[in-house]
Amino acid sequence: MAALVRKTLREYRRALIGWTVGMCAFFGMYISIWASMKDDPQTLSAQALAKYPGALRDLMGGLADVGTGVGFLQTVAYQLLGPMLFVMAASVLGNRAIAVPEEAGTLELTVTLPIDRRRLVLDRWIGLALGVLVVAVVTFAVIAAAASGAGMGVPFGRLLAAHTGLFLLVMFFGTLAVCAGAVTGRRQVGLAVVGVWAVAGYVVETLGRSVDAIAWLRWLSPFHYYLDGRPLYQGWPVGDYLVLLGATAVLLMTAVLSFERRDVGV
Amino acid sequence: MTAVVETEGLTKFYGTRRGLEDLTLAIQPGEVFGYLGPNGAGKTTTIRLLLDVIRPTSGRATVLGADTRDTRVRARIGYLPGELALEGREKARDYLEFLAGVRGGVSRGRIDELAERLDADVSVRMSELSKGNKQKVGLIQAFMHEPELLVLDEPTSGLDPLVQQEFLAMVREVRTSGRTVLMSSHVLAEVEHVADRVGIVRSGRLVAVEDVAALRERAVRHVEFHFDAPVPKEAFEGLPGVRDLVVEGTSLRCTIDGRPDALIKAAARFTVVHMVSAEPDLEEIFLTYYSEEEARHGRAGA
Repeated sequence: MAALVRKTLREYRRALIGWTVGMCAFFGMYISIWASMKDDPQTLSAQALAKYPGALRDLMGGLADVGTGVGFLQTVAYQLLGPMLFVMAASVLGNRAIAVPEEAGTLELTVTLPIDRRRLVLDRWIGLALGVLVVAVVTFAVIAAAASGAGMGVPFGRLLAAHTGLFLLVMFFGTLAVCAGAVTGRRQVGLAVVGVWAVAGYVVETLGRSVDAIAWLRWLSPFHYYLDGRPLYQGWPVGDYLVLLGATAVLLMTAVLSFERRDVGV
Repeated sequence: MTAVVETEGLTKFYGTRRGLEDLTLAIQPGEVFGYLGPNGAGKTTTIRLLLDVIRPTSGRATVLGADTRDTRVRARIGYLPGELALEGREKARDYLEFLAGVRGGVSRGRIDELAERLDADVSVRMSELSKGNKQKVGLIQAFMHEPELLVLDEPTSGLDPLVQQEFLAMVREVRTSGRTVLMSSHVLAEVEHVADRVGIVRSGRLVAVEDVAALRERAVRHVEFHFDAPVPKEAFEGLPGVRDLVVEGTSLRCTIDGRPDALIKAAARFTVVHMVSAEPDLEEIFLTYYSEEEARHGRAGA
């Protein structure tokens, strides 16, 4: 493994451990609630949920079947909170690839090492990808264990499909943060771009189902390619995932090419 | 002999603000080059262009015979940034080992040897390093791989006088081994004892390149002779370079421009019991030079 990749992982280590522990606790807790709720049909019955306004239900992914194991897991883990937490983690780390050290001034010495600029961006990104992969694998193991322990009845293959989608979605936003930093060198830009695109993207994808005026915008939302195929119910939406993968590759390419051309730390 | 650093018409604008304009300069192997100028004159811009941190607006530069874009020669360069930032929980030694590894490794014990020489503590986390210790870690990383070219931006800032002496000794050793140093400073006094030549940069332009020995030769020197008997003033009048001559009984005071040779030979005809020659103040000539240049530019511009 390249020295800069190893160094990147060392820099990320504490944050990675923190996010992993936090997310595992979050998922573990919500899934364990299911165990106590599934025998009490009152809480999550269709009548109870009908009281929520339609738009709110849309935002939460419909809530139509939250009384079932798969519906509950989709709502608490894979619909909104899980992706948002994980996207936040990846974009914070992605921002630390270029923009944060550039503003702090520590990038100056790194760019004068015998590592060319393309390699530098690539190594930082590989460090990010490996770190995010570790978090994804550990959280997947925890969710799979907790879900089967709680008797949710979600097939392992579907769970793997959903979690892979989550990983791809998160890598898209993490790479977006790397790219914003590589293009501008400003940490605020990275956080703003990811924040706006993630929140707007999610809202457009969920509300856009019933609001025709913004329905076309769903094509621009990374969440569309993550949620629309309903992998937890229907398995691998291969085409959608390839779109996420392709978009991430384009962002990475943009990052590599633009960082190579510009002045650092001015 | 190919130059270690060579620039031709090197120019950098930040938007419309001039960082550096039309720099043409060659630094030869084995030379210690002092790059002088006030803050904001373009020293750091030049250095960052040479290290490819920033890209020139026009002109070109080669370092160790290669284009500045060529990353392969970087392992043969040691660089100390002007505003060195070291952060994070990483121990200074681990960071130094990372840098050494990327540059192809350093000999065992080299980091400790330098740390001991500069009295630096490399066992603490980088975020806990004091200002002086940061600068020392910066020097260690610049010197540790014994690079053919050292580029040091304001290397002595934040160092106490003893460490500064040690640093200057390290620079002399580098020169003795035939390697090259480019170091910037805003005061001549910091570099005059090690530099072979100095370049003076002002408002983004190189206004002069001077040989330090020649500068010293041109220096105004205050001299005093004491003889065992009164001497005639006429014996010293009209000597080349002698000015402000005052002869009072057995003592003589004057200033000399350039070589003291004629004065010494004249004095040798009498019995000299005591002689005082103040160290020439290069800063003084330097500033004179500066203001003359400035006045000329001012007139030319008016």
